[in-house]
Amino acid sequence: MVLTNLLGEVLSVRYIYILSLVILVSVATTASAGYREIFEKEFLSKPWSTDIVAESACIECHTSEVMDEKFRSIPQDWRVSWHAQNNVSCHDCHGGDSEDASMAMSHKRGFTGSPNYTDIPEMCGKCHIGILKNYVESGHGKALIEEGTGPNCITCHGSHNVQKVHIDIINAQLCSKCHPYERAKIMKQALFLTEKKIEKIENDLADLRKQGVYPDREEKNLFNTQAQFRTLFHTIDVTVVKDKTNFFTSQLNSIEDDIKGTFEELSFRKKFSTFLMLIFAGTWAIVTLIIRSKD
Amino acid sequence: MWQKLKDGIEIRIGLTDLIENRLRQYRVPSDTNIFYTLGIVTMAAYVVQAITGYFLLMYYVPHSEHAFRSVQDIMTIIPFGWFVRMVHMVAANLMVALLFIHFISIFFMGSYKKPREITWLAGGLLLLVTLAFCLSGYLLPWSQRSYWATTIVSNLPTAFPVIGDALANLLRGGDSVTGITLTRFFSLHVGFLPPVFLSIVGLHIFLVWRIGLSVPPLSQSAEEESEWTEFRHATYSRSYPFYPNFLLKEVSMIMLFLAVTFFIMSFMPTLFLPEAATTPADPLNTPADIKPEWYFLAPYQMLKMIPNKFLGISLQIIAIIVFLFWPFFDTRAERNIMKRPLIFGIFLVLLALWFLLTYWGRYSA
Amino acid sequence: MKRRSFLGVLGTLFGVTAFGSVAYPLLRYLGPPQAEIDAGKQSFKKADVGDAREIVFQNTPAIIINRPGKGYIALSRVCTHLGCLIDYDRKSKKLICPCHAGFFNLEGRVESGPPPKALTTFPLRVEGEDIIIG
Repeated sequence: MVLTNLLGEVLSVRYIYILSLVILVSVATTASAGYREIFEKEFLSKPWSTDIVAESACIECHTSEVMDEKFRSIPQDWRVSWHAQNNVSCHDCHGGDSEDASMAMSHKRGFTGSPNYTDIPEMCGKCHIGILKNYVESGHGKALIEEGTGPNCITCHGSHNVQKVHIDIINAQLCSKCHPYERAKIMKQALFLTEKKIEKIENDLADLRKQGVYPDREEKNLFNTQAQFRTLFHTIDVTVVKDKTNFFTSQLNSIEDDIKGTFEELSFRKKFSTFLMLIFAGTWAIVTLIIRSKD
Repeated sequence: MWQKLKDGIEIRIGLTDLIENRLRQYRVPSDTNIFYTLGIVTMAAYVVQAITGYFLLMYYVPHSEHAFRSVQDIMTIIPFGWFVRMVHMVAANLMVALLFIHFISIFFMGSYKKPREITWLAGGLLLLVTLAFCLSGYLLPWSQRSYWATTIVSNLPTAFPVIGDALANLLRGGDSVTGITLTRFFSLHVGFLPPVFLSIVGLHIFLVWRIGLSVPPLSQSAEEESEWTEFRHATYSRSYPFYPNFLLKEVSMIMLFLAVTFFIMSFMPTLFLPEAATTPADPLNTPADIKPEWYFLAPYQMLKMIPNKFLGISLQIIAIIVFLFWPFFDTRAERNIMKRPLIFGIFLVLLALWFLLTYWGRYSA
Repeated sequence: MKRRSFLGVLGTLFGVTAFGSVAYPLLRYLGPPQAEIDAGKQSFKKADVGDAREIVFQNTPAIIINRPGKGYIALSRVCTHLGCLIDYDRKSKKLICPCHAGFFNLEGRVESGPPPKALTTFPLRVEGEDIIIG
């Protein structure tokens, strides 16, 4: 009897229990665990957070106050480049140790510094093997090797601010520096239709991705085709390009057919799901009517 | 011949008597609204999940090298694999939404009060089990979204001092999300959680059936209920039979649920498929904005807001305990929420807060 | 009475259609996937392959290589970086991707460059003078 009375009294202040628990825990944690900086350090700065990106030794020096003006602008040029987006940074082209500032420009770590005008194709060709091969045999390549003049890679593509290729890299301003634009124009026309097709397929693939599809095979196929096509361009030989255009067009066409098939499949799925939705909505309506008729 | 079959069963089981007593004589109060069917609709959603889940199990490979590829194969190569997978995905989200609406309506109608406290507790546990299903489930496709959202959530236990890291490592099977985490979550999702869910739901449904449905407190037939001092089945001044009337209501709501599922599949198929969910997981590359699924956005945003990690997570745990044991805290017999402005006010504030946090979590940086 | 039974019939009709429309995809799902049926085997004579031969297997460009001292291997030619087709360099006995200088050894494993993982291997069996892929 006494126990139940006591229990009753204790239980009647249960809300105070909750409140006291909250206060106790708040005080304890505020006292012991710390403030926003610790939260930021432990939660926001985890490796998977996008806030912190490891800066390489190269970038640290080249963005510092004591660096020469003409070198200081390089990291920001690079940061907006297509290379930067694909994690290709300083040491991938220039060598050196990107993690150790003392060895960042050491020849022992393969540092090559700023290359001469005529050495540039070799530097880019370290990765872009296929293109180097075609370039060296082309009119442009021969002009560079034999006469020391003629365009190298950065003439058309830039050095640190390399962007994704676009057919308008071939333009009157750039190409008429050494010879009449007429030749370049013919080449541009030869490339035009294929490039347009490539662009359309890229847009279709982006569309498919938005619709929840993972068009892995088509994307790889497209990349291979456009890489082969653009590598071929570097022979700067219009007859070769025109010759091979049919081959590339048929490859692109088969990719387009695959994509069309996928769009048709998506459309079928939508129709099927809509049919099911209507059937079930209809069943719902009928059962509701049956209920009404029974009441 | 049909009659012979029925007679045979009748001699052995006494089916007629069973149907008469359990189904026809079982009464349901009048003025029950559609919210009363939400429980069984949620159960139907679970059954849909179980069936589609079982089918997915036939082709899915729970290994980090093959998981993404196997899901893509289900979507593209297996005939109607896309159908099974999409139903599983949409119905999962709908089930959580239904659960939320179900318990909000139970709270609103005060149907958790004596003698239905255990029913509420079982229901609360079911919500937690369902959320565990969701968490373990969406790691399985091994996409960018899966990997990174799981990384965030599995880091939450580190908020606890001393045992935090050990807890997180126990959850993940290591310091970070790996193939071991995948198989661990897979065994949870497929092996452990279903029997747990079924046992709790069995208890929940048994209790609902045993005690009887509650009378809607705002309806005309609501009356002062006398003290519950001994067990009795709920009695109603006005009622109608469970079979066929209430059962038909339940069937119609299940049809509606399925219609909504297929509506979403037809017209909003990417509602639950952001771009990150169709890209294979890349542990070296964090996507620009990782967010947990919509039902975790509110707690996630709350944790981001509160500067002290331990405080944040403790508040949430206290909130969960209060939520689970609420019928034992709130024992006033009054079930009409309109007559209890304080509780009603707090309820609305919390609801608004949840929506606000979810919206904020969705659109914040 | 008429209305009741009409609704009943309609309800049964819709119900059966609904059930059938859900059962149909589930039954089709259980059937063997087309790709498995399409995946045939291909066989080549050792003499035709020589030290290396480019083939197309399951719609994928591939290459059979006779590795010195280690026997035949069938590898996919699709580079795991971005999808360019790799070439076999006989001089250095390596597989090289012309797009970004990805180097693979004759097991298909990455030696240097951007590719994230090894080339896909296709099952290969030697029976007498025949090489069977798949």
